Amino acid sequence: MGQWRTEALDEPNTLLTLEALSLAQGNRMVLEGIEGHFEAGTITALVGANGAGKSTLVQGIMGELRPVSGRVHCRVPNARRAWLPQQLALDLTFPMSVEELVMSGCWPTHGSFKRYGPTGYRRGQAVMQRLGLQAFEHRPLGELSGGQRQRALLGRTLMQEAQLLLLDEPFANVDAATVEVLIEVLQDMAAKGAAIIIVLHDHDQMTRLADRILHLERGHGTWSTPARVGGSPSTAETLA
Amino acid sequence: MIDWLFSPLIDFGFMRRALVAGLALSLVAPPLGVFLTLRGMSLVGDAMAHAVLPGVAVGFLLAGFSLPAMSFGGLIAGLLVAGLAGSVSRLTGHREDSAIASFYLISLAAGVMLISMRGSSVDLTHVLFGSILAVDSTALWLIVSVSSLTLIVLAAIFRILVVECLDPLFLRGQGIRGGAVHGLFLGLMVLNLTAGFQTLGTLMAVGLMMLPATAARFWSKRLEGLMGLAIAIGMISSVGGLLLSYHAGLPSGPCIILLAGIIYLFSALFGRYHSVFARWRRRVEPILPPDAHG
Repeated sequence: MGQWRTEALDEPNTLLTLEALSLAQGNRMVLEGIEGHFEAGTITALVGANGAGKSTLVQGIMGELRPVSGRVHCRVPNARRAWLPQQLALDLTFPMSVEELVMSGCWPTHGSFKRYGPTGYRRGQAVMQRLGLQAFEHRPLGELSGGQRQRALLGRTLMQEAQLLLLDEPFANVDAATVEVLIEVLQDMAAKGAAIIIVLHDHDQMTRLADRILHLERGHGTWSTPARVGGSPSTAETLA
Repeated sequence: MIDWLFSPLIDFGFMRRALVAGLALSLVAPPLGVFLTLRGMSLVGDAMAHAVLPGVAVGFLLAGFSLPAMSFGGLIAGLLVAGLAGSVSRLTGHREDSAIASFYLISLAAGVMLISMRGSSVDLTHVLFGSILAVDSTALWLIVSVSSLTLIVLAAIFRILVVECLDPLFLRGQGIRGGAVHGLFLGLMVLNLTAGFQTLGTLMAVGLMMLPATAARFWSKRLEGLMGLAIAIGMISSVGGLLLSYHAGLPSGPCIILLAGIIYLFSALFGRYHSVFARWRRRVEPILPPDAHG
């Protein structure tokens, strides 16, 4: 991943910086000159119409897509970067239980051979408890509802102790109770110093969750804070 | 009766060697097959089995009927086809399965042509369908070595394979290219196909990989269960097929694979999950307690 520069940045709290980042899909330029800082402890909502380049930006940040120009600076090591894909990207017929999925978050630290050990499994249990999954720990993923599956996926990133977390529409096809649990856990992760970037559509969720908003439109990005985007400030106040 | 049934496996050296070879192959080929089915690559095994043919033929032309030469040739041809197909799909953006299909057909045609240029049609059937009498101790050493190596490598990449099957992006986020794991996995598959062709033939070897795996899916929903069952089915088919082959005077490869095929058909009809019978007597599970709803 050549475009990743893991180096000291000016701001000690800045985990991720985008510098005049331009990204293309094939021959088509999708994003031009995106600038941004992502600090530890902040939740950034990534919004924009379909095709505005949200997923392209996420790919660029994850190093999946080589920038046409500009740079992505990241000081979070690979092992602490997590990416929660849209559920459709997963093979749900794969015979894996909730516990096994959650424990696979140990991959960056444990690799192929290291035993998870009792401490590891205790952590896994705690994570599943936190997400209300203990009743399903041995259930295969294919038999879960969308909400339960999303909790299990977030469990994996908790296990990984992710410091930079990207989520692509985590609340799509998810029941209201799960949304509450997910929001709570994400806020908790941010409070512990993670930088979180979420692709979102729902305005209410955005005002509740996001500290900052990066709005993508016609290939350019605009930064704002939740109260100023679209909705009246009063909504934001009542929710706050 | 039982004595009469099983005594050939003890009395005759070639049966003993064939038994050990069959069991060794059954230990590693079915788990590979389980991963193939889980990755939706069931037919890739079949394609690769055809792809090894020209290599086997070249080995045969250069060194005569020598298993190491033929296996090595097959291995090179198989890896070449896998590598070429992978590169073409990456360079052109075409799906990998269409690239593999194209290359294995080229490879198969080249192989059949090479064999018919020298040697008779008897040799061709031998290569395609295998012969148990030909497992000498060199062949046995080769098969057992391949099985051991496969077992070790599979253990080493097991976690990565599992994580990658479910969610390739997770690993890519960790800076691990799925391509390397995928390549290694294809390499293992080719290695096992070439090791299996002596007893089973190039075309039948893939049967010992796939049929136990597809049959096991009707009985288990867990990865360990699938692997264990697939190995058991493979071993039962190997032992039973060898005995059938001996007593009825039939070729060994088809006997082993047909036995595995019968187990597959039985599983498809009466298996615990998704079988015809399971669907017919489907029991509706009660509604979960309210807190279990997500």
